[in-house]
Amino acid sequence: MAQTETTASPILKVTDLSVSYGNIKALKKVSIEVFPREIVVLIGANGAGKTTLLSTILGLNTPVSGTVEFEGRRIDRISADRNVRSGVCLVPEGRGVFASMTVLDNLLLGAHHNLANKEKNLARVYEWFPILKKRKDQVAKTLSGGERQMLAIARALMSAPKLIMVDEPSIGLAPIVVNDIFNILKMLNREGYTILLSEQNANKALKCAHRGYVMETGTISLAGSAERLLNDPGVKAAYLGA
Amino acid sequence: MQQIIAQIINGLSLGSIYVLLATGFNLLLLVAMIIHFSYPQVVVFSMYIVWIVLNATGNNLILGVLAGVVSSIALNLFFAPFFQKVMKNRGDVDINSTMVLSMAVGMIITDTLSHAFNKGLPIAFPTQLTGSGPMLRIGLISIMPGQVWSLVVGVIAVSGFFLLLYKTRQGRAFRAIAEDPAGARLVGIPIISTGFQSYALSGVMGGITAILLAMMLQSASPGLGENIAHKVLAVSIVAGLGNLVGGLVVGLALGVLEALVQGYVSGTWSNAIAFVVMLVVILWKPKGLFGMKV
Repeated sequence: MAQTETTASPILKVTDLSVSYGNIKALKKVSIEVFPREIVVLIGANGAGKTTLLSTILGLNTPVSGTVEFEGRRIDRISADRNVRSGVCLVPEGRGVFASMTVLDNLLLGAHHNLANKEKNLARVYEWFPILKKRKDQVAKTLSGGERQMLAIARALMSAPKLIMVDEPSIGLAPIVVNDIFNILKMLNREGYTILLSEQNANKALKCAHRGYVMETGTISLAGSAERLLNDPGVKAAYLGA
Repeated sequence: MQQIIAQIINGLSLGSIYVLLATGFNLLLLVAMIIHFSYPQVVVFSMYIVWIVLNATGNNLILGVLAGVVSSIALNLFFAPFFQKVMKNRGDVDINSTMVLSMAVGMIITDTLSHAFNKGLPIAFPTQLTGSGPMLRIGLISIMPGQVWSLVVGVIAVSGFFLLLYKTRQGRAFRAIAEDPAGARLVGIPIISTGFQSYALSGVMGGITAILLAMMLQSASPGLGENIAHKVLAVSIVAGLGNLVGGLVVGLALGVLEALVQGYVSGTWSNAIAFVVMLVVILWKPKGLFGMKV
């Protein structure tokens, strides 16, 4: 894997972010950075706060304290639709596609703010995901799990994102399909996309990422390069089943 | 035979009014996420505005029609912030609060109509708008202009609505919110402003309906809105809340049922009979004939 470019300034900078749902503190002073053209992975068990962190970055939750900066600009307290417009996007957990709408409609929804370039983006997405072109007039509920995950990723690409956040892409997918999805993410990274990934499947995720953060009960417990995390005894014991 | 045909034409033209109203109601339910059963009251208010403008301009039909549509959009948008405020405060969709608000809107409109306009007496629309006699006569069948217009314009308006829903960027956003509001927000659909667009669109539909109702009924009274509102709510529930195609079928069916009862059974019992039939249907299929979509 390529080395991290530490000289560049981060495209995403989360500083001391705290988020609560009522009395429950879901995130406690979380700080992470993502640099351009990186794949960064958040590893953690269910309920560690990965999804909360990603959805707060997108603008779906209002933080109690702390900041989120995207390209040097504060984006916490800005609505999700405006953040999507400025290039942040989230591929939700559970392959959140619109089941009763066609594949093409799903893709065009991703391009809601970017319809001017839709033909160009569609052509590119179809080139990367030929199966979606074949199924473009089918409603999304007829797709397999892996195809839905591809559609969710492709829909995100239609918004011309600068940062793609992918929440638990491997959940509920067959191992061979999981490999496909990770290969797609690696391919997108080679094409220049910056990716922030959340995963319970630590082994596979760390093998495709440059850097990682380990999340536990709303805090970052460990951070480092992917190789370091893969060899860390604590990570091995907790997440790699070694 | 001719009488049946006449009654069916009667019924279809009445039904197309129900379809238009049920469609506007469902749009608000699906996209703005409110139960606005007083939406027909707003439409009747626009009928009064049409009447006022016609009176004031010496029956200028263009201005009258324009006033109907503009006032309906304006009134829908006027109440929209109140609904949106309730929803934002509660964080998520709160159907109960929107129902209280809708009830209030209905009451305020009905009271305003019975105090501020024509001393609360029924209003009659001029023949320039309604036409003075049958437009077509085939044997025993005579068709009034209001009926022809509401059928033709009803078909055009509903087709236009579905085209918008399935062929445009805005329509796609409407459908996304209808299917999954949280998911729509996540992909970057602006929920609030798209919600306001649905108020405006149901305003357009309501304005068109106001003109058609004026042409067909040739009169209006303060209680008219409530009367129609009951039926539109019943049509929407019997069809399946939020089911646009269902609303279309059940709206037309109710119109035809009412017309047949009026023609063959009793003119004065048609409402009661129509509701008994809907009662039976809802007991048989509590989620509606076509299934709920919310």
